[in-house]
Amino acid sequence: MTEPGPVLEVRDLVKHYPVRNGLLRRSVDAVKAVDGVSLRLDRGRTLGLVGESGSGKSTLARVLVGIEKPTSGQVLVDGEDVLHLSMAGRKQLRRDVQMVFQDPYTSLNPRMSVNEIVGEPFAIHGIDPAGGRRAAVDELLELVGLDPDHANRYPHQFSGGQRQRVGIARALALRPKILVCDEPVSALDVSVQGQVINLLEDLQAELGLSYLFVAHDLGVVRHIAHEVAVMYLGRIVEQGPDADVYDAAQHPYTQALLSAVPVPDPSVRLVAKGAPVIASDRAGVPTGSTGDVGPTNGASPTGAGPSRAVGAIVLEGDPPSPVDPPSGCPFHTRCWLAPTLSEAPPEPSAGGPSTGGPGTGLRLVPTVCETEVPALVARRAGGAPGAPGSTPADAAAHVVACHFARELVAHRVES
Amino acid sequence: MSAVTRPVPNGASGSAPGSAPSSALLEVTDLTVEFRTPGGPVRAVDRLSYRVEAGRTLAIVGESGSGKSVSSLAVLGLLPDTARVTHGSVRLAGTDLLGLSRKEHRARCGDQVAMVFQDALAALNPVHTVGYQLTEALRGRRGMSRADARKRAVELLDLVKVPNARARVKEYPHQFSGGMRQRVMIASALAMDPDVLIADEPTTALDVTVQAQVLRLLAEIQAERQMGLVLITHDLGVVAGVADDVTVMYAGTAVEQAPVAPVYTTPAHPYTRALLRSIPSASGAGRLSVIPGRPPSPGAMPAGCPFHPRCDAVRDVCRTDVPPAAVPAEDRMSACHFAADIMAGREPAPDDKDTGGHDD
Repeated sequence: MTEPGPVLEVRDLVKHYPVRNGLLRRSVDAVKAVDGVSLRLDRGRTLGLVGESGSGKSTLARVLVGIEKPTSGQVLVDGEDVLHLSMAGRKQLRRDVQMVFQDPYTSLNPRMSVNEIVGEPFAIHGIDPAGGRRAAVDELLELVGLDPDHANRYPHQFSGGQRQRVGIARALALRPKILVCDEPVSALDVSVQGQVINLLEDLQAELGLSYLFVAHDLGVVRHIAHEVAVMYLGRIVEQGPDADVYDAAQHPYTQALLSAVPVPDPSVRLVAKGAPVIASDRAGVPTGSTGDVGPTNGASPTGAGPSRAVGAIVLEGDPPSPVDPPSGCPFHTRCWLAPTLSEAPPEPSAGGPSTGGPGTGLRLVPTVCETEVPALVARRAGGAPGAPGSTPADAAAHVVACHFARELVAHRVES
Repeated sequence: MSAVTRPVPNGASGSAPGSAPSSALLEVTDLTVEFRTPGGPVRAVDRLSYRVEAGRTLAIVGESGSGKSVSSLAVLGLLPDTARVTHGSVRLAGTDLLGLSRKEHRARCGDQVAMVFQDALAALNPVHTVGYQLTEALRGRRGMSRADARKRAVELLDLVKVPNARARVKEYPHQFSGGMRQRVMIASALAMDPDVLIADEPTTALDVTVQAQVLRLLAEIQAERQMGLVLITHDLGVVAGVADDVTVMYAGTAVEQAPVAPVYTTPAHPYTRALLRSIPSASGAGRLSVIPGRPPSPGAMPAGCPFHPRCDAVRDVCRTDVPPAAVPAEDRMSACHFAADIMAGREPAPDDKDTGGHDD
């Protein structure tokens, strides 16, 4: 593999889409899809980007391959800022950074044969590969595990997994350095997903590719990624080596996300038999209320480790709109931790229950969560878990954007 | 007990010993569905049998094309015109629905069986308010007045924990988020107070945090009303969290049926075993174990066992003989010639090499 170092760096990237309104189509507001993201992808490595729909992960991917123009910020490929390039420079960028799309059913032109699809990048960039285009296409098809004899077939003659291989072959045609994969396996059946993931891993080892792997499936990302960044409402809330993020998540959102992943273990039930109705039986628990979250997760989320305690943390409601994100920490409206902290103001009204007030629909969180955007900082200092002690110092640090991440670390240590 | 595959006389008498006094609400026996195609009839579901009991959840697991959705449509009488049930019975509380006229079939189902579809945005009508759609059945079939229906719609939305239900019944589907829309779907399925709820991939389109909310809601409502729940999914993680019984489908047939726990600990069919191995686990590292090849197309079924071209324990007999439904243990069924071996974690005995002429 080639020498280490960042092949891709993103600095404070912002992408806002204007919301236009009225007769004059004046811009009245903006969808803050990506709101200040910094990332670093090392050569030959895989960075997993996870988050729910609307978190901005796909927008980020599209900015990186040049489909979208960012509002501000820097994107450096091999140390060169690619946002202020000439036309020729942009074309070169497109050769270096290629994309694999989510849906292999819509990302291939049904009226083009596989030979034409995979060979199209050569035509666009005016390249005549040594040995001819057809030979190059055959070689690419072979590389991704397809039979070159099928090159004259059309996409509909292939299965989903095979189509995704065609998409990967097309992306590899120009020998890119970076492959941006936007949910490359989520449209595929479980038994086929593994084949495509293994293919991507083989290609990485063979060609020294770097991947930005965007996905919502945390299991898949854990498997393929070396580092993981968790996005919420256009920001990165936690980032670090995958073992650190998965085994010692420090952001309450990451912990909730991990605990929501269904695990294939029948001893971990979503609702216990015998005591089926959980605490929040009150009709109409308002969105954003802590509801049953307070009592149920008092000890459990950290007790067995978040990846095991399925359903231990169930977030209420949906992510807020990126048009009008919450002030301060973007997660504070759904955070299960904040209302339990001693910094949270006490319940004002008399007679109410002392834990968060589902009856009132009021969430009381520490003032700092509502007013200050937490910075992404390393929180390893005080009694951090000694799990992967061998992590070399040059590996990316485990950073987290939470005012109270120390509380979570403390929880873990005591358990 | 859903794992019973042989036709059970009918009603309570045939209950498996393990599963208490409850009798089957819905019993599907040897259901076979064929589609008419230019190339001749194509079998999408082949001799599928299962039972759903009050208060229990049956998960039907399979990949796309395995026949899991088609079998549910057959139960509800919603098959497209090109498909027909060629064999088998669907008994709802003892009545064979397939013996009824199409109209009667749907009427019976409308009262007692409800379905939640995968894509709530496509399943809801964009030009009617949510409240109107929730109570369409009540007004149409029960002759409920508009005022009562409105009141009932609010109750239903409250039931599925949609906040501010009173205001939201007047809104349209596009004004709801994905998770809230799926709640509306569930509410509308509950409107007629069904005995059996069939949920076809109800959380596949949702994010994990919202998926957890919706699954928990479904499980709560089911426990409260003692409904029978049929959960159709491809996600073995979801199944482990909520199901009591599991039916694994492959290429139109049930390949394994069992209570949920042993499916994960001692799978009795190589397909189930391979599916479990192919889940990217939290422990991460290493090469992902995969199932080679892809599911057969229903028009070109392999001879013998439909799974044999992809099976890692294939033997000569698998290539020629369709495996019978074996019962390797009580309450368990596996359509594999070597079910007992697979369940015990043994590899089946190798073929006699002197007969090794016919593996083409």
